[in-house]
Amino acid sequence: MPIFRKKRLFILLIGIIILVAMIGFSLRDRDNLSTPEQFLKDTVGWAQNIIHTPVNYVTTIFTNIDDIKNTYNENQLLREKLAQYKSLVYEVQEIKEDNDELRETLKKTKSIQDYNPIQATVMSRSPEQWIEQVTINKGIQDGVKENMAVITAEGMVGKIQTVSQFTSTVKLLSGFDQFNRISATISQEESNDIFGLIEEYDDESNNLLFKIIEESNKDIEKGELVVSSGMGGVFPAGLPIGTVKEVKPDQYGLTRTALIEPAADMYEINNVIVVDRALAEDKTSKDTEEDNE
Amino acid sequence: MKRIIIPLVLFSFLVLEGVALELLPISLAKSDLVIVPHWVFVFLLFLAIFYDRENTYFSVLYGLLFGLLIDIVYTGVLGVYMFSYALVIYIIHGLTKMLHANFFVSLLLGMIGLILCEVIINAIYTVVGISDMIWKDYLIYRMAPTVIANILFLAALYPIMFKKLSSWRNEQLSTNTTF
Repeated sequence: MPIFRKKRLFILLIGIIILVAMIGFSLRDRDNLSTPEQFLKDTVGWAQNIIHTPVNYVTTIFTNIDDIKNTYNENQLLREKLAQYKSLVYEVQEIKEDNDELRETLKKTKSIQDYNPIQATVMSRSPEQWIEQVTINKGIQDGVKENMAVITAEGMVGKIQTVSQFTSTVKLLSGFDQFNRISATISQEESNDIFGLIEEYDDESNNLLFKIIEESNKDIEKGELVVSSGMGGVFPAGLPIGTVKEVKPDQYGLTRTALIEPAADMYEINNVIVVDRALAEDKTSKDTEEDNE
Repeated sequence: MKRIIIPLVLFSFLVLEGVALELLPISLAKSDLVIVPHWVFVFLLFLAIFYDRENTYFSVLYGLLFGLLIDIVYTGVLGVYMFSYALVIYIIHGLTKMLHANFFVSLLLGMIGLILCEVIINAIYTVVGISDMIWKDYLIYRMAPTVIANILFLAALYPIMFKKLSSWRNEQLSTNTTF
């Protein structure tokens, strides 16, 4: 049946053309999801919301059993930390009041550190593990917008990739590439701060690559905290990203790159906070360092 | 009735895939091995083997539909799962004409289907630039664990699906309904 064969081949070719067209459509720079996509995402998200609760209940039982094993050691450690914490609380309060007063006198009430938190719960994670994204249960209706930073108690986990009305998709730090840069800083006492860009996630070593732009005269030590600098205009300043693991020169020996171990756990994410920067983006300083290009 | 149940089952598998990684032990999820649940695909396989007659293509249709849903909900790159699921299910549909359906044949077809599907998905993702794994690593770290895990799932589902779907096919024969 030669005609039948040809028909099959024809359909396959049309299929491939449609595939290429669809991939092209979805990979170009889109500002918003199309309405049918939003609708489908919200529908599936609603079903996931229902299913997520019992599944989460079961999985927490198992993690709880694991936790109980470590309780004693953790308790000892935490007690020590608590003693230090008490004096810290007092100190922080004093500094905060001081800071507020000074800001009052300067008439600068908003800083780039301020943000409005939006609490959200993670409902699902993409089964396709190469695409590092999770879905959360807050969307446009709750004030979530694209490119907002997403943090957990430990530190930054990612940023909002796409939003629909009631759910949104978070791109995890472990899926960041050259198109998702974060301007970050390492704060150092007694010398200049180090500025740079978090360039991408290195799959082989499971670390973020922090390209240092502005060095200081003091060397970076292992374990120093890297926080977002807020210079990119989208993320607020002071969100912890990770700790320095290693510093190495790049291939030409001109700049140096630090390997950053993410502070937050990318696998056990349950409750997150979407960070809505209080200070609006300053249009004039938008030219050089951008979080998202 | 079955016309509602089949999409519902597919939909619930689709939703469950989103929490599948939470069900895995953390040590496995954090290791280098990549296990991708293809539960929707496994159910489509059962449809192709036990439900579809020679001249009906429900499984391929559902493949297109739910492949697209997976693309929209979980990956954001449209068309990849849609194309690979539909194509592979179509091939499996053709193969079932040659083989008499039983447990081992289903396992074999499942294996062929999953491998084909994984290869197509990986090929597309490599072209698009989402994955940059070399093929040798891909075979060890992603293909092998994914196929094994999904074959286990297929084997576990077989006793339930086999009877149900066969009886539905017979209903389909007797009443001769069209889609």
